[in-house]
Amino acid sequence: MIRPFGEAAILVEVGEPERAQGLAASLRGEPPAGVTGAVPGRASVLVEFGPDLVGDLDDAVMTRLDALTAWAPPGRLRRIPVLYGGAHGADLADVAEMAGISEAEVVARHTSVELRVLFDGFAPGFAYLGGLPDALDVPRLATPRTRTPAGSVALADGMSGVYPAELPGGWRVIGRTPISLFDPHRPMPAYLEPGDRVRFDPIAAADWSRFAGPPGDW
Amino acid sequence: MSIEIVEPGMLTSVQDPSGRGAWRHLGVPVGGAADPWNARLANRLAGNDDDTALLEMTVAGPTLRFRQPARVAITGRLDASLDGVPFAANAARDVRAGALLRVGNGAGARGYLAIGGGVNVEPVLGSASTDLRTGFGGFEGRALRSGDRLEIGTRSSSGAHRWTGSWPAGPIRVVPGPHADQFSPDALTGAAWRVGVEADRTGVRLDGAAPPSDALEVASMALVLGAIQVPPDRRPIMMLADRPVTGGYPVPAVVIGADIGRVAQLRAGDQVRFASVSIEEARSALRRAESELAALEALDGPRDDELGWAGSHR
Repeated sequence: MIRPFGEAAILVEVGEPERAQGLAASLRGEPPAGVTGAVPGRASVLVEFGPDLVGDLDDAVMTRLDALTAWAPPGRLRRIPVLYGGAHGADLADVAEMAGISEAEVVARHTSVELRVLFDGFAPGFAYLGGLPDALDVPRLATPRTRTPAGSVALADGMSGVYPAELPGGWRVIGRTPISLFDPHRPMPAYLEPGDRVRFDPIAAADWSRFAGPPGDW
Repeated sequence: MSIEIVEPGMLTSVQDPSGRGAWRHLGVPVGGAADPWNARLANRLAGNDDDTALLEMTVAGPTLRFRQPARVAITGRLDASLDGVPFAANAARDVRAGALLRVGNGAGARGYLAIGGGVNVEPVLGSASTDLRTGFGGFEGRALRSGDRLEIGTRSSSGAHRWTGSWPAGPIRVVPGPHADQFSPDALTGAAWRVGVEADRTGVRLDGAAPPSDALEVASMALVLGAIQVPPDRRPIMMLADRPVTGGYPVPAVVIGADIGRVAQLRAGDQVRFASVSIEEARSALRRAESELAALEALDGPRDDELGWAGSHR
């Protein structure tokens, strides 16, 4: 479904993150004349255009969408070390209570699955991770925090995410990673890109400094 | 050579009019000048290309000392004085080395200071703009502070100008947003609003009669400039330059491109009304705003030797 989004953009609803990423990448790679931007969301693509647009954009986008072969994401495996609970995971106890399992079991489930980056948004390098076990589907905080520390590993709305910088936020924080996730001076500024596979690894407090900084495989 | 920040005002930062839209798929906000119209105008007046780096000043402006002669233009809604004498907005002027420029309050939220040759900062991800939230770009990735010294370009070769155009007035014009079929823009256009205290580069939040409750679930989507999001507290937010790439609240309406700068000039407590227009009217308003931006008149300034220009600055 295509919806108008102001006088210079449309929102193309495509249903699933992979198609949104695929369509946006295709439009960015070879933009139709007059198209100035193509930005994926969770299940849609914002397509922006300028005054020099020629022809019917809706048709051009639908043609592109029909021709889209399965999007082939890089699918790199990214391993993220996490210090769970305590001062670094202020909401771990609440999440355990909501899930009806122990804190240790929350950690076990969070580290047992391979997640996938559905899309990046909210802040530079913030990746929305899908593929969580159902038990970890918890709602956002009723009142968002004004400050969530950089590296906070959090849950909300059936997804997981890691805060790349200190930011306001309403997700429930269960741990913290010492690695950095965004560096605007790198050619690939975000460590986690759409399509990447992600696994969280529990670490001990003593290991924090060993992992601090940019990961070796960035 | 440089300009020195004597006092930074409420929030002064290096921005450019376009920002960095090409990195949004990695979550990087567009950023750039909150009032891109006045930012582009300032650059044109100073003889710069539209997208040259300049200073965005907020509500209570900075005090600056020029350590070299420069051609300067101020636009927007903040008042200024040069060495104690009122400094007219919307016209370029040559200032001498040692001049003290004070930017104070005014009739709106933002002013722009363009300097012939621009402010010299290293572009990051394709833009000179400061991302104040994550902390990169611009000058050391942060707002300016007392004692900062900014390198500025040498004067540009094209002439100085005065602006003779005008901006639109009246209600803020909107077109339907992606969720207008489930959440009518009438909820916005049929009510009177007041700007809340949360009015910044991310967006302008409104207080007023809450629109009808619509428990509308929306999957996070990328947001255009001017999108009016309505979160569960039912206080609409008009999204500006530093908006997050994606948002998950319904968008009943979108501020038209020609009125974005007016939204960026709103201050807490200001009254706001909306009017619905057609897509065609919105595009026509944008063309009109472009042509107003080009309403420039060449200025015959004082001769360089009267201002103490040295050959090395040419």
